[in-house]
Amino acid sequence: MSDVELQLCLALPTPDITKGFNSNNYHGLGFDHLKQTSCFGDRKKRDFEQALGNFSDECNAMPLLLWSGQPNEEDDNHKYRNKRTFTIDDMNDAEEDKVVGWPPIKSWRKRTCHHHHHHERAAGNGNGNGRSIYVKVKMEGVAIARKIDMRHYHSYQHLTNSLISIFTKNKKCDEHYNARYTLTYQDKEGDWLVAGDIPWNDFITTVQRLKILRLNLQTQPQTGPE
Amino acid sequence: MGSSELKRSKDSVSSDESARRSSFPDEVLERVLSLLKPHRDRSSVSLVCKDWYNAERWSRTHVFIGNCYSVSPEIVARRFPRIRSVTLKGKPRFSDFNLVPENWGADIHSWLVVFAAKYPFLEELRLKRMAISDESLEFLAISFPNFKALSLLSCDGFSTNGLAAIATHCKNLTELDIQENGVYDKGGSWLSCFPESFTSLEVLNFANLTSDINFDALEKLVGRCKSMRVLKLNRSVSLEQLQRLLVNAPRLAELGTGSFSQELTIREYEELESTLSNCKIMHTLSGLWDAKGIYLPTLYPACSNLTFLNLSYAALQSVELAKLLAHCPRLKRLWVLDTVEDKGLEAVGLNCPLLEELRVFPADPFDDEIVHGVTEAGFLAVSFGCPRLHYVLYFCRQMTNAAVATIVQNCPDFTHFRLCIMNPGQPDYLTNEPMDEAFGAVVKTCTKLQRLSVSGLLTDLTFEYIGRYAKNLETLSVAFAGRSDWGMQCVLGGCPKLRKLEIRDCPFGNAALLSGLEKYESMRSLWMSACNVTMNGCRLLAREMPRLNVEVMKEDGSDDTQAYKVYVYRSIAGPRRDAPPSVLTL
Repeated sequence: MSDVELQLCLALPTPDITKGFNSNNYHGLGFDHLKQTSCFGDRKKRDFEQALGNFSDECNAMPLLLWSGQPNEEDDNHKYRNKRTFTIDDMNDAEEDKVVGWPPIKSWRKRTCHHHHHHERAAGNGNGNGRSIYVKVKMEGVAIARKIDMRHYHSYQHLTNSLISIFTKNKKCDEHYNARYTLTYQDKEGDWLVAGDIPWNDFITTVQRLKILRLNLQTQPQTGPE
Repeated sequence: MGSSELKRSKDSVSSDESARRSSFPDEVLERVLSLLKPHRDRSSVSLVCKDWYNAERWSRTHVFIGNCYSVSPEIVARRFPRIRSVTLKGKPRFSDFNLVPENWGADIHSWLVVFAAKYPFLEELRLKRMAISDESLEFLAISFPNFKALSLLSCDGFSTNGLAAIATHCKNLTELDIQENGVYDKGGSWLSCFPESFTSLEVLNFANLTSDINFDALEKLVGRCKSMRVLKLNRSVSLEQLQRLLVNAPRLAELGTGSFSQELTIREYEELESTLSNCKIMHTLSGLWDAKGIYLPTLYPACSNLTFLNLSYAALQSVELAKLLAHCPRLKRLWVLDTVEDKGLEAVGLNCPLLEELRVFPADPFDDEIVHGVTEAGFLAVSFGCPRLHYVLYFCRQMTNAAVATIVQNCPDFTHFRLCIMNPGQPDYLTNEPMDEAFGAVVKTCTKLQRLSVSGLLTDLTFEYIGRYAKNLETLSVAFAGRSDWGMQCVLGGCPKLRKLEIRDCPFGNAALLSGLEKYESMRSLWMSACNVTMNGCRLLAREMPRLNVEVMKEDGSDDTQAYKVYVYRSIAGPRRDAPPSVLTL
């Protein structure tokens, strides 16, 4: 790991979570969260907004829509932007065309791809089926997202450790120095939640996307367009 | 020339002509010309003199029509009386990407009616981007008793009922090739329509169809068609079923598997492996849907003679690809998904020195965020290892001018260079400059370049380069590029062999459109959409050039003075009469 202190926080149900986290200088949301709300064995789905709202007074919960709805910042120069329609649904459904006929992929191949990905997503039922479960991971402040196969990991711990190493490899260090992060995910129903509440096997069957959000407890969680 | 002049009869030859005539009889000339296949050569032959024109038209058995509206079926039938094989292309290429309205045209039926009358012995029909209904397929099946080969690529309008008609009636069928079409799949029972006495099929490709097929019927069909050399299955066929089919068809030259992921017992795995190892003459392999890494090794023994491997439906990882390629030393053509990433492409560079064609498709094309697929590094790696590379189609999310310059230095023989940087108008990601120098390097270095697709942030400079250097360029595709009319003017003024120009979302207007007035007659077609062309500009073009068809496709709610989508093509058949109301012919 580079000289960046990257702390990735989860609301983890198991006591082993302190391993790999430097709990001394750690004021991460997840840990406080852990202390304040008993999540061990608590299966109830917690809305991210609600979760955030439990914490320090200065930390105002940001509306859910902010980070699932913001379009990425793009180059201003191009006409095509007028034809794009960004809606929340578009952001959540990666298969929707933003510009008609672009990229130039044959309709038939698009359908096959689409079919393919839905097959993959639907395939994660139980351990017996070895099909990969590809999930996109985006880290706030980093332009390049990654795609990972959830089947490669066997626990939240394993996942977070891997994510830490993936994302510290190639990014500019300054902004992220000593930052705190929390891992969130979008489930099958489209809701964004803090990762760590549900058992790992349930998690991998429901997760659609992952997002690592930066937290700044002095003001409010850093969200918005990247 | 009137048809009376062309009537073939020794008796009606004038004495002037007999003096000039060559010393061998017509029959010999025709026999010699019948051996000449390429249609361009035949066109050249027909221009030599009247005798040669006649000999050519009487000896020709195959006609290629690149734009179905450039000529009418009556004109074709009048000139070429002995045709047995027809290739017809219809809609503009951008219809593949949903840019052409659905009822635009290119219906095969009027052609079939003429062919049924004039070419009753028609054997082959190959269609690309045509509209074809079930009724037309049935008409085809019953009208031509000698019919042998049907190939449909990117067509639409038909269902599996039409295929059932073909299977039922075409007693001499050798080829049924259904690729990438918009087929309304009503189920696989069409396969049972081949009668039990039917044994002539050599090529069967139904990979396009999505529903389950009648496997029993398929197994019997493959079993009795002993000459079968091409078999491409659809995704519904399982591994175990594949194995059963292959046992009866070890001499397949081209195989498209079905789904490559069913759970197999050890015995089933070994059986599959053993059956595949018998497929020694296989040179083309495709399909492999949902391919599971653990089953790929069953393919290894069958790969030693592979020249074309199509993995574009199998989301392989880099390691899986690398292991597979180690067994494919003779590979010339490779299609993959970008899930293999740069590491996978490094393996291509290392294992496939004979590679001539590479296509890398995006597994996740519509993601707004940048996901790692392939980058310039992968393309570079291939170029270092594969000097014979001459055809590339590459979808990526980042590229640099320097990388492309190096790539074409490594591979100067590119004939087809299609680079798609998926974010429109994206600059060189390291220098933030336009990608002009990349395409400049391509056209300067690759003197044999016939086809070019450009992308990324491009100024008019790219088009200056293209106009100045791309002297063999025939097809150019442009999107979200250029700064002014000057760009398009450079291309129209500079590329002598240009035949197809397709442009979308560029700031080219009437001045650019009209600068190509004379050029369009030497081209097959021009497409311009979402540019700055107006109706007045199009009307002017139509007025000045009566032998061009100028068609404007109207969009609902768009400004009436703007010509949102323009399609211009040369034609000896005049304006078409089957255009839908949304298409205006000027």
